[in-house]
Amino acid sequence: MEDEVHSMAVPGQIPWDIPTMTRRATDAREAEFAQLFDEFSAPIHNYVLRMVGDPDRAADITQDTFIKAYRKLDTVTEASSTRSWLYRIATNTAIDDMRRRRMVTPMGDDAPAFANRPDPRPGPEAQVMAATLDERVQRALMKLRPNHRQCLLLSDLDDMGAQQIGDVMGLSYAAVRTLLCRARGEMRRALSAEGFAR
Amino acid sequence: MTMNRHESFEELISASLTEELTETERQRLDAHLATCAQCTSTLAAFSDQRRIMAGVRHVGPPRDLGARVRTGIERGRFATLPWWRQPATIFAGVGGSLAAVAGALLAVVLLNGSPDEPQLGDASPTPTASITQEPSDGVTTLPPVQSSAPSAEPASAAPASAAPASAAPASAAPSPSIAPSPSVGPSASAAPAPTASPAEASPEPDVYLALTGPFDNLALTVRHGPTGETIAELDTPSGPPIAAELSPDGQWLAYITQLGQSGMNEIRVSRIATAPGDDSTIGVGDTVVLGESLAGSPFLEQMSWSSEGRYLAFTLADPDGGETDVWVFDTVNGEPRQLSDVGNAYAGDWIPGGDGVTSRLWVSLAQETPISYVLALRDDAPLGPAEPAEIGTNRADGVFQPLLSSDGGLAIFWQGRMARVGEEWLFSEDGAPYLAEHDITGATFAFSNERPLFSDLSPDGDAFASAAISWGTDGDAYAVWGTQWTGDSPDGETPYPDGGRVYFGHATDPRGLTQTHAIDASDLPDDARVVDLKVSPTGRHLVITALRPIGGAQEAPRADLLFIERNTGGVSDEVFTLGSADDGWFGPAAFDEAP
Repeated sequence: MEDEVHSMAVPGQIPWDIPTMTRRATDAREAEFAQLFDEFSAPIHNYVLRMVGDPDRAADITQDTFIKAYRKLDTVTEASSTRSWLYRIATNTAIDDMRRRRMVTPMGDDAPAFANRPDPRPGPEAQVMAATLDERVQRALMKLRPNHRQCLLLSDLDDMGAQQIGDVMGLSYAAVRTLLCRARGEMRRALSAEGFAR
Repeated sequence: MTMNRHESFEELISASLTEELTETERQRLDAHLATCAQCTSTLAAFSDQRRIMAGVRHVGPPRDLGARVRTGIERGRFATLPWWRQPATIFAGVGGSLAAVAGALLAVVLLNGSPDEPQLGDASPTPTASITQEPSDGVTTLPPVQSSAPSAEPASAAPASAAPASAAPASAAPSPSIAPSPSVGPSASAAPAPTASPAEASPEPDVYLALTGPFDNLALTVRHGPTGETIAELDTPSGPPIAAELSPDGQWLAYITQLGQSGMNEIRVSRIATAPGDDSTIGVGDTVVLGESLAGSPFLEQMSWSSEGRYLAFTLADPDGGETDVWVFDTVNGEPRQLSDVGNAYAGDWIPGGDGVTSRLWVSLAQETPISYVLALRDDAPLGPAEPAEIGTNRADGVFQPLLSSDGGLAIFWQGRMARVGEEWLFSEDGAPYLAEHDITGATFAFSNERPLFSDLSPDGDAFASAAISWGTDGDAYAVWGTQWTGDSPDGETPYPDGGRVYFGHATDPRGLTQTHAIDASDLPDDARVVDLKVSPTGRHLVITALRPIGGAQEAPRADLLFIERNTGGVSDEVFTLGSADDGWFGPAAFDEAP
């Protein structure tokens, strides 16, 4: 046996009031999280919805995003990086969800569920006319590669600059500019197929 | 692939929409647009596109999202856990005495996490709480080194009976773990400690593997430590399991099995739980064989899960020549992939991160003077196989196989000269494990303030050829066993370091490891050899897989799984048997991190 004491049974005097400290820490954490949720739940949900194109899944992913965020709240060291951090959690959660559903392949287009549904409508023109602008844009988005879609949404929906998009996606500034250009080109073709001019 | 002249301007056009052009780029683009109809059209199209995107409907979250998140936070983490990970069931269905023990141990855990709790080495003049508390600046520091001479005067005189009033309710239950340690008493305990039922012996949550049954019809199961109940039945391997690591989310168990007498190991990972709604193709009980590898030193048998539970890192040694490379198993797609392609790479440890943080792994190259690199894994840029020197983001010269404490603030790594021995790399001169601080707050991942783990040894040309090392998840306790020391014993008589003994220490102990840090020799059965060891989350208990001597080639391998409660101050350790070698092969165990 060892000639030392490291028994947890003999901690000596505890100078701090642990329950009070714990409560204070918990209160501060709750307040920080409440603020985070108030500020970001709507934009994160909207972003995720556009990423996956399915309201039920978007709600689940947003829910999981904030549960994960709560658990990892103490890993955020700078307030300025909170937005990127949260979007990154949302993005990873959405990507994991898509992977599980086998919607993502490394290079090809994913296969959005609703885009593959049999369409009973008569033809492309009627289809275009009948669909709302929102549906057509979403359908175009779902034709993009996931990283193109992600990049385009962060830029044009969430108004992030290339630097912040890089923080979310783990890419350099230059890589984001290139990716975003390709995404715009791909989106241009997808919108054109949905009947948008140019 | 070459870029045509319009494509090069398209990138500028795209960046111009968010006003992210430099002045030079702006002038260049304007000059081009004045003469190019195609790019002017592209600018118009991209501008329209951005307007269209800005005009899409913003869909608000469901009204009950807040409640769902709250429910998930409050209860979801338990609701999504398998039965054996849920706190309520850990102690359910067992007698009052176990509940009392469990309650006491839980109290110990809480006390252990208190900011000012004196850790071991109370006699140390330096506050020892820096490892376990969360310092405001997030920096983990080591206490000053104490004299390396074996301590003749035990530091244990520490207040062994000053249990605080606040701990009284929890500690009132009779529990050997919290009994005040007598300050005197002979340490020798010739007879093995009495055994208890598995349930009483393992009040800390753990799982273990059990290979049982007739020799020609063995069955491998994963058992729940506190109750001994079966969690999952696995494919029967060709030999016994000798190492195991549970993923932080409790869903995957990685383990190494021996391939009979071939001198080869097989690395496997089995799914032992799933989260609700998870439609992964790998179900509970399913096993993925990750590869075969030469059996060898503990350096080869190092497996590590990333902190978010997604990746497992491991090393495979090629039987033809012994070339070693690092592989990673990705739980998302259920596939292993080779990370390094150099022939002398060994997996180290993951740097703790989390969601939204790039997964970073220490990978070490074995060579005369070893070197380690940090490799970053990204979803969008899969690595490997590659040369760590080309893709590493950080490097540490002279460092081999750093193993990190749970918060990443401390590391135990190897330094010294390495040499090729047979088909693997071992340390030859001045090789020894060191304890050091590891900078994760500044993301330099630099090691500093290193000190020899064994403070009362000077290699002086000798070396630890290898040894097995395991951290406790408290970030303080660690154990070393299977030491292969090339030198003589310091006093010329007592075998030290003894490859058959387990040395149990704490990072907060300024003395490091000394001869006195060996656990009681009587903790293990006669002639048994430690195959695997885990330090409990409280840093107080050890679970040891102890190989019993085999009588002959026809005899199935047998191992005891022992739960050891480390006692101090003159009281013998207490040993409980979780699984008896008389019934088969029990172990290795893996502690479940607190869900």
